[in-house]
Amino acid sequence: MDKKTDFDQTKLEEMVGVPLDRLKPKRVHRNPELTLWEKIYVPEVVRGLGITTRHFVSNMIGFVAPPSGKKRSIFTVYYPEEKVELPPAYRGRPVLVAKADGTEKCVACGLCEKICPAKAITIEALENAMGERYPYKYTLDGSRCVYCGYCEEVCPKEAIVMSAEYEGLAERDRRQMIYSKEQLLRSEESVKGRLEYIRRIYAKWNY
Amino acid sequence: MPETIRDLSTEQMVINMGPSHPVTHGTVKFLATLDGENIVDLKVDIGYLHRGFEKMCESGTWQQVIPYTDRLNYVSPLINNVGYALAVEKLIGIEVTERCKYIRVIASELARIADHLTNVAAGAMEVGAMTAFLYFVEARELVWDLIEALCGARVTANYVRIGGVKNDLPDDFAKRTHEVFKRCHELWADVDKLLTHNRIFIDRLRDVAPMTGEEAIALGFTGPCLRATGVPYDVRKAHPYLVYDRLDFEVPIGETGDNFDKYLVRMEELKQSMRIVEQALNRIPSGPVNLDMPKYRWQSKDDIYNRADSLIFHFKTVIDGIKPPVGEVYLAVEGGNGELGFYLVSDGSGKPYKCRVRPPCFPLTAAMPRMMKGRLIADIVPTFDMINMIGGECDR
Amino acid sequence: MFADMIESVAKILFIFTVNLGFFAPILGWVERKQSALMQDRIGANRADVGGFTIIGLFHPISDAIKVIMKEDFIPAGAEKLLHTLAPAISLIPAIITFAVVPFGGQYELFGHHVNLVIADLDVGILYVFAFSGLATYGVVLAGWASRNNWSLIGGLRASAQMLSYEVAMGLTVIGVMMVYGTLKLTEIGAMQESLFHWGVFLQPLGFILFFTCAVAENKRAPFDMPEAESELVAGYFTEYSSFKFVMFWMGEFLEIVTIAGLVTTLFFGAWHIPFVSDSALVSFFHFAGPNGAAVLAMLVNITTFFVKVCFFIWLQMTIRWTLPRFRYDQVMKLCWKMILPLSLVNILITGLVLLNG
Repeated sequence: MDKKTDFDQTKLEEMVGVPLDRLKPKRVHRNPELTLWEKIYVPEVVRGLGITTRHFVSNMIGFVAPPSGKKRSIFTVYYPEEKVELPPAYRGRPVLVAKADGTEKCVACGLCEKICPAKAITIEALENAMGERYPYKYTLDGSRCVYCGYCEEVCPKEAIVMSAEYEGLAERDRRQMIYSKEQLLRSEESVKGRLEYIRRIYAKWNY
Repeated sequence: MPETIRDLSTEQMVINMGPSHPVTHGTVKFLATLDGENIVDLKVDIGYLHRGFEKMCESGTWQQVIPYTDRLNYVSPLINNVGYALAVEKLIGIEVTERCKYIRVIASELARIADHLTNVAAGAMEVGAMTAFLYFVEARELVWDLIEALCGARVTANYVRIGGVKNDLPDDFAKRTHEVFKRCHELWADVDKLLTHNRIFIDRLRDVAPMTGEEAIALGFTGPCLRATGVPYDVRKAHPYLVYDRLDFEVPIGETGDNFDKYLVRMEELKQSMRIVEQALNRIPSGPVNLDMPKYRWQSKDDIYNRADSLIFHFKTVIDGIKPPVGEVYLAVEGGNGELGFYLVSDGSGKPYKCRVRPPCFPLTAAMPRMMKGRLIADIVPTFDMINMIGGECDR
Repeated sequence: MFADMIESVAKILFIFTVNLGFFAPILGWVERKQSALMQDRIGANRADVGGFTIIGLFHPISDAIKVIMKEDFIPAGAEKLLHTLAPAISLIPAIITFAVVPFGGQYELFGHHVNLVIADLDVGILYVFAFSGLATYGVVLAGWASRNNWSLIGGLRASAQMLSYEVAMGLTVIGVMMVYGTLKLTEIGAMQESLFHWGVFLQPLGFILFFTCAVAENKRAPFDMPEAESELVAGYFTEYSSFKFVMFWMGEFLEIVTIAGLVTTLFFGAWHIPFVSDSALVSFFHFAGPNGAAVLAMLVNITTFFVKVCFFIWLQMTIRWTLPRFRYDQVMKLCWKMILPLSLVNILITGLVLLNG
């Protein structure tokens, strides 16, 4: 059964259409003939057992008596007790940023509504007494949102940002996942890290 | 003796393998006709994950397609991003900056590492080696952490933009990558020891579903599955894009194209990809990552906040979308499974007129009956895993 | 007479408690926890009583509750009687095979002779084979009676695999029988008092072959063809739920214990501590009086035995989580083309050595 590919190796260049020296092919070692060592199963099995046992023992030591100051060798994160460290780039729940007086920064320009690839955002705009546009209704359908971060990227007002919130994103009922403006409002203080981050990454294109 | 055989009633059994079966991940159905344990006939039934990607693209602007491409090959979304962005850039006729090219190479190679890790791990798990699976999943988790630090999400990356990328590399990225790769190499060595010389594993994979190079080309194979047959075709080498022609890496090829070759090719490519990332990190030049082309790349926030003309133009590009010239383009990148091609047609409007994807695993899945006829039912497991059919990409 | 009865009842109770009350539930926990540690994970630890988790030890209880509460499902068109009977047929042999495995030596206690084995049969090993052969019926019937194609394939695989390995396993132990000249497990155990008389040193090949066959007979990875979850969904117990499912599961775990016990008895010095003879042990405890010494020696021997058993349970678990699964034809090839000839060679060599030595 163990036959080599039966096509003419000299035709390879023609088949690929590129000079072979540019491709730098490297043949993998497929170990065509098993050595006796491998044929009798046992030594390789023992070697495999050795590797898993090594992991077992080192994790066992870390499990029973964690070496002080050393990171636990077990990889799993013990979720509700331990939390993962999120990078500043992390995109969690999109939230609206509030001004100091508690009203939203958003001016209902509709860019986020337009760019949203999942069409999760709907805005109904009105003008207030001073003639400024504001979102009378700002609805984010959490069950549609794909957390792409486009809304944050196009917003000309820093009014919507992807916060680091990742808990409570799912509900048992989709109707509860349609968030209103009030539910989405966060103080500027609470999303400060993200605001600084987007100022840094989107501020200049380095040109 | 012949009379005995005649008297033996050997009915064939038709059995539905999937769409919800442990081996048919990615949701596919095999309609297998069995004679005992032997497969007499196999039909592949795809389409369970069809979401209308191509039609969906036609209703969004050119930029809005990028998050959709994340969901094609959801194991290596960054490569899809890169492929789509490159295709659009080719359509427009622009070239991104040097630093951006390196960043894109790093991103795609990280995604490729995640892809191959998942694939080899799942292959090991499905033939029963659960521990090897979890070692590679651990490595993949570390790679995903890197991707998360880079673009803010582990799977739904949405990182590459037309004319640039979303953001520059994080500050300590090179250092972190180095640490992660060190651990990845350790885990790679463990898995290699657990599997590559283990006779049980070799017997399961070797000489199952062999394929000659010519036949593989005729069937439309690309990627690791084609290279396993001994044809060193790699889009990164054959039609270099980004800066792949300036980086030093090898194309691992196999001999017979069986599952063991596919496994070995993937294992070797993991190392090569790590090499590429390290080289790229060493050589990456400083400079801008985005093009100064408000027509195609959204402007920086500084301009938008401070300049009225920029703001107005920003509104225009977001609402109407960017408008590539009328034309059509095909561009392929080396995806996790092979040649991932984007065929785009523009009618000059803000939305793609047509966005067709050439999924690398579609021809591979189509070759399943050819590879499986006459083999044992247990051979479906490693074969289907090694062709690495990804539902999101195959069914679109 | 009365004392004999008490002794028997006490031994049966002890083994029942240890096997069904301790090993069967705890092995589920061990399996999860050990695999977790091998794979850099934490493992199940969420079941808690009043905030205490004790590293997940409540999981067997919560599992038991969950599984008993589940709907007992019999698929339409299934053979009801056999479908119900099959789990019992595969569980009962697993429980009763341990009867012939000695878990300690023989002691004089208050003028009464205590032999720490439930049934000291002259044909001890054959009894084990006889009953593990019966377990095959349970699996085959389960596969057939479920009226499910996957179950059917699983059952067929099981019948072929278990019968083949039955044959090979019988042959692998013949070497041991020849060396010790008996079929009685208590005698085989007693003869391994000195470390150099341990079966593993006299029959190294026999040990490896027997262990392989035993694991294959128990249908655990890498020989889990009949259930092979990636191929056959769950094989012969695809259509089982609730307590019937647990019976298969418990049968498997009990068989792990039995295999560990057998391996210990046949190859690893049974209840003996290396370099410590039975008489030395009794004389070490002479301060406790003759009866007290016997009791203490008995406890030490039982502990030794179960420590060894635990080691082999651990080994089986490690193997199960490390190795990939064979393919069906390879399992059969391994049996008929490798283990069977090798065990014959083993018998031949043993015979030659015995003749000359």
